[in-house]
Amino acid sequence: MDWLNLLVIPIIRSVVIIVVLLTGFAYLTWYERKLLARFHVRYGPNRAGPKGLLQPIADAVKAVFKEEIIPGHVDKVVYLLAPALALAPALLIWAVIPLGKDFPAVADVPIGFLWILAIAGVESYGVILAGWSSNNNYSLLGALRSSAQMISYEIPLGLFLVSILLLAGDFSLVNLVEAPRAWWEWLWLWIMFPLFFICILAETNRSPFDLPETENELVAGFQTEYGGIKFALFFMAEYISMITTSAIMATLFFGGYALPFGIGSDILPILGPFILAGKVIVLLFLFIWVRASLGRPRYDQLMGFAWRTLLPISLGYMIITALLTVFFK
Amino acid sequence: MSEATAVATAPVATDPSLPFSQEVPGAVIGEWAADSDKALFVAPDKLLPLLTHLRDREGYDFLSSVTCVDYSAYKGKARAGISERFDVVYHIYSTRQGGGPVRLHVRVPESETVPSATSVYPGANLQEREVWDLYGVKFEGHPNLRRVLTWEGFHGHPLRKDWKEAYFEEEAKPFKSRHPEGGYKWHEDKLPWGDNNTYPQNWDPDSWSEPVTYVPVSQAPSDHHAYGELDTQSIVVNLGPHHPSTHGVFRMLTRIEGETILALEPEMGYLHRNHEKIGERNAWLMNMPFTDRLDYINSMSNNLGYALAVEKLLGIEVPERAQYIRVIMAELTRVINHTWSIGFILNDLGALQTPALYAIEEREMILDLFEEISGARLMCNYMRFGGVVRDLTPGWEERAKYLVHDRLPRALDQLDDLLSGNEIVKARGRGVGYLSAQDLIALSVSGPMIRAAGLAYDIRKAEPYCIYDRFDFDIPTLPESDIYARYYIRLLEARESIKILKQALRDIPPGEVNAYASATLNQGFGTIMGGKGGYNFRPKEGEAYARIEAPKGELGYYVVSDNKANAYRYHVRSPSYINLNALGPMSVGYKVADAVVILGAIDIVLGEVDR
Amino acid sequence: MPELPIPIPPLPTLHESVFMAIALLTVVGAFLVVAARNLFHNALGLALTFFGVAGVYFVAEAEFVGVAQVLVYVGAISTLITFAIMLTRGMMYGATSPLNRQAGTAAIIAATVFVVMAGLLGSLPWPVAEEPIVDGQIVIANLGVGFVTEFVVAFLLLAVLLLVALAGAIVLAQDRK
Repeated sequence: MDWLNLLVIPIIRSVVIIVVLLTGFAYLTWYERKLLARFHVRYGPNRAGPKGLLQPIADAVKAVFKEEIIPGHVDKVVYLLAPALALAPALLIWAVIPLGKDFPAVADVPIGFLWILAIAGVESYGVILAGWSSNNNYSLLGALRSSAQMISYEIPLGLFLVSILLLAGDFSLVNLVEAPRAWWEWLWLWIMFPLFFICILAETNRSPFDLPETENELVAGFQTEYGGIKFALFFMAEYISMITTSAIMATLFFGGYALPFGIGSDILPILGPFILAGKVIVLLFLFIWVRASLGRPRYDQLMGFAWRTLLPISLGYMIITALLTVFFK
Repeated sequence: MSEATAVATAPVATDPSLPFSQEVPGAVIGEWAADSDKALFVAPDKLLPLLTHLRDREGYDFLSSVTCVDYSAYKGKARAGISERFDVVYHIYSTRQGGGPVRLHVRVPESETVPSATSVYPGANLQEREVWDLYGVKFEGHPNLRRVLTWEGFHGHPLRKDWKEAYFEEEAKPFKSRHPEGGYKWHEDKLPWGDNNTYPQNWDPDSWSEPVTYVPVSQAPSDHHAYGELDTQSIVVNLGPHHPSTHGVFRMLTRIEGETILALEPEMGYLHRNHEKIGERNAWLMNMPFTDRLDYINSMSNNLGYALAVEKLLGIEVPERAQYIRVIMAELTRVINHTWSIGFILNDLGALQTPALYAIEEREMILDLFEEISGARLMCNYMRFGGVVRDLTPGWEERAKYLVHDRLPRALDQLDDLLSGNEIVKARGRGVGYLSAQDLIALSVSGPMIRAAGLAYDIRKAEPYCIYDRFDFDIPTLPESDIYARYYIRLLEARESIKILKQALRDIPPGEVNAYASATLNQGFGTIMGGKGGYNFRPKEGEAYARIEAPKGELGYYVVSDNKANAYRYHVRSPSYINLNALGPMSVGYKVADAVVILGAIDIVLGEVDR
Repeated sequence: MPELPIPIPPLPTLHESVFMAIALLTVVGAFLVVAARNLFHNALGLALTFFGVAGVYFVAEAEFVGVAQVLVYVGAISTLITFAIMLTRGMMYGATSPLNRQAGTAAIIAATVFVVMAGLLGSLPWPVAEEPIVDGQIVIANLGVGFVTEFVVAFLLLAVLLLVALAGAIVLAQDRK
């Protein structure tokens, strides 16, 4: 029983989540391409299957069957390690995201919050390793930009998370969703949501903060030397990161797996994952909307925004949150 | 017309009736009286004093065109008794007074050099390099006299009349059918690499590398330390060639420190096909569709410029209706170009093609109109000498009116609404890529860029061609001279174009659309063209330079005729190419990411740059 | 079953085997740090070691410390080190020797420290918990209470230090006109 509880059940759960996420990734690419096409006044993929629904599968087959090319000038071990390390953190965060009241993801560990922060800190490794091992100026510059950007935006992100933590008073994400909140708490949270979303955009290297891979001046940034399935892994990492961070935002700001006012949660707890998925899809729309609409700030402007604007705001926000918590809770 | 060499060596014996004989004695040694523009022959050693005088005292501040003609194969009477092979031609305009050019001819024998005009007009830089590249005329004092369009290892100077293109222009062409038993030899087989190329003797492609004497490395300040006492190192980075967003195969050689640009030099010629050489081989009319291929976004304006140049040579009057049609086409083209370039400036800013696609949607509507009258969307080939090729189709005017009155103004307002207030566009565009109006003019930059620097210079007003003097429109200017201003000026200019289009569509008269179709004109036209209609004709000896305000800047055509069925010299003064003079000075001090947008805001088309 | 002269060690439990795997990882990482000939690989080895240590904390059910380890050492300090190495571009080629003239001295000191530590740790009477900790929440809460009561001075000093660092970062980032 020891083995079963500690090993077998978590592994089954992990496998299920990973499979769901990979499918989600595949159809996120379809979702994005379709949406972008609509923003662009065109059709988007519509050849493979009805409405282009088989397009992701075609893409996957293509990526898998591409010839594996490892350039001669790279540091092989690190070069091959990098895509895996890029993908792993995005999946690891799902260990703590609650999918339902009686249906936690893999573990309802008491340190769910810190886990998110810690794994977010590890996320930059894939990019750093890829950039360094590719032995290419564009890759290196892309990697430097990316890691500097991620580290910079982690600080306001962390401070915002600490503020949410202060409001919740609990490290567990399940408790965060279950605990009742006063109206002013919701309001105070939602005021911060746009800033949090900006940090998340920067963390996931999404447009308009996709400077590590600006095709304008850095070719493809840290991915320049990658092709085939290795490139697909980076791609996957970015998109699963999007799903993951959307799930985090849904959990932190929009009640996660629960419906507003506790509707239905007691009747059908199995609905939890689907409600979460619905919220994730709405939040993913935000990512794509931003991508279709905005230009890209310059790198120094981006860093300046993190250090000059977001950092003071997040510090102030944290202090006010602490005061609010002390005086009103 | 006296001998240039004789005057250069002899003591000054100035004819007081010649222009500028008081101010710069001995500079002007002759005058082409028959020509409509002021055409002066200048002694090579007095060129720089004369240019300085023209710039500082006479207000001729804009060196429009520098080109060269190789007269070694010229059979006409105009060159009788003149021994110098090359004739370097300068066209200089005044942006303050407007009006026509001062045209300077400097005649040099093959062995001699011409003083470089770059010290007076820095904008001569690229054009003198082009002349050196294609003609082998050396400019003394040029800071960077390297080949520009052909590659460094190229053998010979292809625009010289005695340069034979490998295989195609060999003395005897070895056609297989004529040599059934063999006995011929393919020229390619003689070459070491089996290509259609010739190489210098003793040239080894394996050991050869491009000489790295480029400006960024040699002229970049080496003691530049942005971080105080920290010892930093600058590196050379190639942006391109064939970079996804450099608008084609184009290379920017940059020297950067961190992400700050210390020096930048454009490298082009990857699409070079020697347009001008082919143009000299073609009959006059055959060049008309060939001009479409220059700036392939604006084929109508290219047609117009060439038609104007040849009409100047022929002296044809264009019928009233054709004039209006020409203006309508040129202005529609301007709208196309400006919406397109607005979209692509935003693309360079990293906006994922959404603005570009919104802009292109409007372009498609205009291309529908073009297709209807010319049969082609991109390569219209619509203008003819003396008019346009055919009349507007029935109902065309109504459709154009719908676009001009209803759809296009709305589309422009939409672009304005969506983009002009965007914080990221402002943050990236404001104050980036600044260059003062004086600098821009000195660098021979023309078009929207100088109007975004506050200089209201537009050829449609300064030296009206076609019937632009009949329309009521403004020259919008903005003072900032940064990327944002260059973006916004295009929006304003597109609005002015729509203003012109409204008037032209209102006033367009019925009638003939080309000179040779009209009964009365046909007589005269027939005489000019040797009785062969509009297809094959021999213009009288002479030269002509016509320029128009193309959407990208001043588009000029310089043609020389020696009474043959094809042009003796056919030169395109392409705005994209010459505006690139400013790319380096504009980018210095900004970030690498800015260089891409600065290039985008210059708005080049590589088909026109490389020709 | 007859008694064997040498007792067979019992099969490792799940906890023990996981611990062993993690310990092995940590040791391999540590070995990479000193033995790999490429500076970047050294740094990666260091990150691996930090990760292993965090894993040890997790096995010991000290999740908070483990996550803090990942957050601070793997996420921040190692990243900083790799960053510094990436900026020294020349390190890509040409393996650097892991030995220098102090190698012998260092080995002796390391061996001495190891012997002393091993002896010390082996001889300590470790307190054994009566029952496994079930709710990590209480531990963390106790930790928090400890910070604001017993260790309040140290905690406040650290907080002030970090605040100064953050404020300093904001000041440094401002445009100097």
